[in-house]
Amino acid sequence: MKQVIMMMLLLNTLLSCSGQKPGEMLPEDYTNWEKLTATELNYPIPGHGTNLRIPYINDTGRNVNISVVNNKKTHEYPPGTIIIKEIYDSNEISPGDKPVMLTAMIKDPGNSKARGEWVWIIKNTATGEETINTDGFCITCHDDANENHPYGAGNPDSEFRDCVFFPYKK
Amino acid sequence: MKRKKYIPITRKINAIIIISLIIGIGTIISYYYLSLFMNINDSTRQNLLQQSDILYTAIENYMIPGEAPLAANFFNDINKINPEYTIKLFRSNGVKAFRDNNTISFVNNSIGVNKFLEREVIEDNEKPIDNYFSKAIEVPPRNSVFRTVDRMENTFGAKGKIFFRIYRPLINLPRCTVCHGGEHTIRGVIDIRNDITKSVNDQYIILFISIATFVLMVSILAAILSQYLKGTVIQPVKSIGDICTGVTQGVFDKKVSIKNRDEIGALGNTVNTMVEGLHERFKLSKFVSSSTIESLKTEEKGHKVPVTIFFSDIRGFTSFTELNKPETVVESLNKVLNFQSGIIQENKGDIDKYVGDEIVAIFTQENSELSACISALKIQKELKEKSGSEYNNLKVGIGINYGEVILGMIGSEKRADYTIIGDNVNTASRLCNLAKSGQIIISESTYEKVKDQVKTKGPYKVKVKGKEDYLHVYLLTGIYGG
Ligand code: HEC
Repeated sequence: MKQVIMMMLLLNTLLSCSGQKPGEMLPEDYTNWEKLTATELNYPIPGHGTNLRIPYINDTGRNVNISVVNNKKTHEYPPGTIIIKEIYDSNEISPGDKPVMLTAMIKDPGNSKARGEWVWIIKNTATGEETINTDGFCITCHDDANENHPYGAGNPDSEFRDCVFFPYKK
Repeated sequence: MKRKKYIPITRKINAIIIISLIIGIGTIISYYYLSLFMNINDSTRQNLLQQSDILYTAIENYMIPGEAPLAANFFNDINKINPEYTIKLFRSNGVKAFRDNNTISFVNNSIGVNKFLEREVIEDNEKPIDNYFSKAIEVPPRNSVFRTVDRMENTFGAKGKIFFRIYRPLINLPRCTVCHGGEHTIRGVIDIRNDITKSVNDQYIILFISIATFVLMVSILAAILSQYLKGTVIQPVKSIGDICTGVTQGVFDKKVSIKNRDEIGALGNTVNTMVEGLHERFKLSKFVSSSTIESLKTEEKGHKVPVTIFFSDIRGFTSFTELNKPETVVESLNKVLNFQSGIIQENKGDIDKYVGDEIVAIFTQENSELSACISALKIQKELKEKSGSEYNNLKVGIGINYGEVILGMIGSEKRADYTIIGDNVNTASRLCNLAKSGQIIISESTYEKVKDQVKTKGPYKVKVKGKEDYLHVYLLTGIYGG
């Protein structure tokens, strides 16, 4: 058992040294998708910096199922939902400006790398490199979306929002 | 081709034994050591990780209701209880938390009430900033071996002690931002460390014991194995080698005595049989001229060479045989032939054959004429001095001729001799016949070669059988300076 762990540690080292390959999890044409929220996200928040952020949601995600479970309003995004958030390096952008980074979440409950049923991805737009975050970094924070939080319209009734701060409204 | 260096088999075998033992035992011991090491490390690690989880939750729960000072006291208390175990909290800029009023005033400002009272500023400039710390606060985090589950782990040495440390970043969660603002992602880092000097030292002791055991085992096993091999293989092979070396030096009477009933024992017996065979052949070689033996090696057919031919014949031998008993005849004859042969061989002459009481010898080396003359003179001197006492008054006449002869394998397929034939051989024989007892007659061709070194009388003109012309011959009487 210990030996297996050791081998895996070694493998992990080798893999992390060789770097992650540019992934193809995030489609290029996401800008045609619907914007997640009309709120202009240009105020500082932890986790995503102090500059402009624009989140998009794909068609699958728009079929979010909102119901009441155990007296609690519950949002449930179907598997295959992709939310991509563009992150810019300034607060004012002009047409043609490109985001410096994409942070994204893909609903994929069966995925071993998923945390809270979401696969958390950071994409470096300069290199095209996509990194999956498997430690608690993204989920710890996004878990707070399921309780009262101070962003946008907030979540005054502590609905279960499936880790999404700005829930998609039909 | 370059010749390989001579390496004794003992050393090779020892090397093989030691290498295989090192590989074999080494693998096992390092395997056990590693798994033990992993075990100890892993349990320490698991322990600390669990504790860091508990602490994380504890801090969160102190902070949310605004009880940060409680958290500070909590850390201090823990450090007091167990000095080997410390918990510290650093702000993400690397400054120790709870030591000044920066946070307090920021929070009071954010919530618009002076909820938290100013505290006494403590001088504590401990800074954790190193590579691990900066990795722990990296946003977005980069996955790595050390950063697996939202924390950085590492082992480091300080003040002669070894610590295992976990840096656990505290994330500025949305609910924290109400007080702490939303400008930063990482609020701070919990530094929790344990003194693992003892367990590391234990591991070193285990390692040391493993290595010592290993070395001891290898040495003992190597000694036993090489001792065993020495007895069963090396010693017998060496004794066979010694016997063979002896044979090349003419020692035939030693035998390999190997009691082992195995391949080497069998080899010993084969060698013994072989040595016996060689001995017989060696004995036989006495009866065969060395040029015959030489020719066997080269399988030569026959060729013309200049040589010095030497004939010696006992004078009055026929009457001697008639007057004496056969045993005496044979014994005396052998004695005379024997000592002559000895002298000839000493002077590098080669006995071609014995014909009755006659010796035919050839000298082929450089200055062969002089060697033949010296042999002849020595023979005559010996007989002059001891003929009466040792050799039953037997005397010889000697003839020496230098010239070309045909050397070749002469005889039938069943029985052949490598010998000389030709006119010059006949001449030498005739000169020998001419020589009276105690005389040495040399031909003119011989004389020409040695005249500066030997004393002679002559020339004499003689007529010999089978020759039309007269021959000029000389009586050899001595040697200059000898
Ligand atoms: C410290 C808190 C925090 C951390 C850590 C964090 N986020 Fe967020 N994230 C937010 C907040 C707050 C929003 C709300 C949108 C905004 O203001 O940008 C958000 C929004 C998002 C959105 C848009 C959907 C939504 O929830 O509104 C995505 C996608 C996203 N984050 C991905 C990630 C990924 C991927 C990571 C990890 C690499 C991550 N986030 C880490 C706080 C965090």
